[in-house]
Amino acid sequence: MGNHGWLTRELKARGVSRREFVKFCASMAAILALPPPVAAKLADTIEKAEKPTLVWLEFQDCAGNTESFLRASRPTVAEIILEKISLNYHETVMAAAGHQAEDALYKTVKDHAGKYIAAVEGSIPTGADGAYCTVGGKSALQIAREVCGNAAATIAIGTCAAFGGIPAASPNPTGAVAVGDAVPGLKNLINVSACPANAENITALLVYYMTMKQWPPLDQYRRPLFAYGKLIHDNCERRAHFDAGQYVEAWGDEEHRHGYCLYKMGCKGPVTFQNCPVVRWNEGTNWPIGCGHPCVGCAEPNFWDKMTPFYRHLENIPGFAVGTNVDKVGLGLTAAVGAAFAAHGAIEIAKRKLGSGSGQSEGKKGE
Amino acid sequence: MSAALARPIPESRRIRVRVWELPVRIAHWCIVFSILVLAATGFYIGHPFISVSGMARDHFVMGTIKVIHFYAAIVFTLAVLSRLVWMFMGNRYARWNQFIPTSRRRLHNMYESLRFYLFIRRDPPPVIGHNALAGAAYSVIYGICLVMIGTGLAMYAPQAPVGSPMRWFAFLIPFFGGLPTARLIHHIGMWLLLAFMVHHVYSSILVSAVEHNATIESIVSGNKFVTPETLAEESEESDA
Repeated sequence: MGNHGWLTRELKARGVSRREFVKFCASMAAILALPPPVAAKLADTIEKAEKPTLVWLEFQDCAGNTESFLRASRPTVAEIILEKISLNYHETVMAAAGHQAEDALYKTVKDHAGKYIAAVEGSIPTGADGAYCTVGGKSALQIAREVCGNAAATIAIGTCAAFGGIPAASPNPTGAVAVGDAVPGLKNLINVSACPANAENITALLVYYMTMKQWPPLDQYRRPLFAYGKLIHDNCERRAHFDAGQYVEAWGDEEHRHGYCLYKMGCKGPVTFQNCPVVRWNEGTNWPIGCGHPCVGCAEPNFWDKMTPFYRHLENIPGFAVGTNVDKVGLGLTAAVGAAFAAHGAIEIAKRKLGSGSGQSEGKKGE
Repeated sequence: MSAALARPIPESRRIRVRVWELPVRIAHWCIVFSILVLAATGFYIGHPFISVSGMARDHFVMGTIKVIHFYAAIVFTLAVLSRLVWMFMGNRYARWNQFIPTSRRRLHNMYESLRFYLFIRRDPPPVIGHNALAGAAYSVIYGICLVMIGTGLAMYAPQAPVGSPMRWFAFLIPFFGGLPTARLIHHIGMWLLLAFMVHHVYSSILVSAVEHNATIESIVSGNKFVTPETLAEESEESDA
């Protein structure tokens, strides 16, 4: 669709100045780790770029990513990009309902086959033939196959869509799986994990696509490297306290008030990849560690199973009661082995003392 | 035809055998000391128990301990890998088939050793190197060592400097079920190795005491004392 100048018109209509737009491009360049001169080029290219067509599917989700994406604060350039993109279908925000809405979705799939972008929020249940989640009489799996299968690219937004997330957490009653697992072999699948996904990263991803006409490099979990290439720990503002050996020991203690490292409170920053310390949340206002709460590792696969208990350093050993931990088990095991050998030694000495007269005494004690 | 060795071997019948070659002994002690350093520093990394106050810029406790842990890990990794290579280069007491029983004799020796440990038989079956049961146990220990190296590399990879070849080991992360699980496995592995150390020291003292063959001293000197009969039996095995 040759729709040049759409953005300029939208900006003007929303009262956004050119200055604000260029500032937005500079911040996008920063998120994408591009040098500053690229910002001006980005501005030029976005203005001339075609308006991408997007459909947004919601399956087993809480609409938290939609919430993150809409950001009910002041209208920004990003909001215009995201909202005024040809968002042909989005259950939470669209005005249409019922068959009218479904028609819009399938018209897009038909008319723009192989050209539109499918954004998916939520996991896909495979249990009970998909009966746990149906929209308009079709199961989530059927919809995903049809809509994502015909898309130019599928963006799995949020940890549920990217990795299964909370619905897929043990014992996973609905047999929930990630979009990539539900529909294997999808073209250009991109996972934008986190609970919720950061709107800045979704925006940067779309800006990258609109300007570069390709998708960014991905990590082994198909997440864009610009957002998931570094450990939270390595860019954390409290890192100096970690290296120094200064840790919060209890909520509200002196160390907590000093802003020491949250490592001993179970912070998962050292095992989680995302750009939260740099991009932050709610338009750069703050982020969890910045306000004294440990990272819970929401951007990683199986975080609900692997990162819990959130406020402890190690996960629970499966099969052991909550409250035991590896060190207690390990110490107990070492002591038990020590005791077993001490007992063995005592028996050996006793046996030798008793049996010293009889010389060979093989098999004597075995019965 | 297992000769009982309840008493020390008379000096006239005592043969000195070079059991542990120098590379075996060096690898052994490198592994011992690196495990002690790794366990102590690793325990701190998991549970930083030293209280540090004042300005962060004046301290580097965790930083220093992590660096010591990484250096010890290099020693440990190289020692374990060297010892594994030596299993295919060293003398017959160092070879891989001392750890994985392949012959009928070794399997029989395993059974007899188990009978000794269970007090069913009074004297240990005569062997010069590792008895077959101990050898099999050590192959499990080598497995644990490799898992420790693997989980360690997986956890180190993301924090290695940009451009470091060590970043390549990030491919191991999914094999261990993600970084948090790798961390848990690494933690459990430490305790298994420490528990093994307790067993290993005890068994060595026990065997040394009942066989009177200088087992304990052998890991320093390299030599054990054996009877001509035991030596003859062992040579038979290697010829078979």
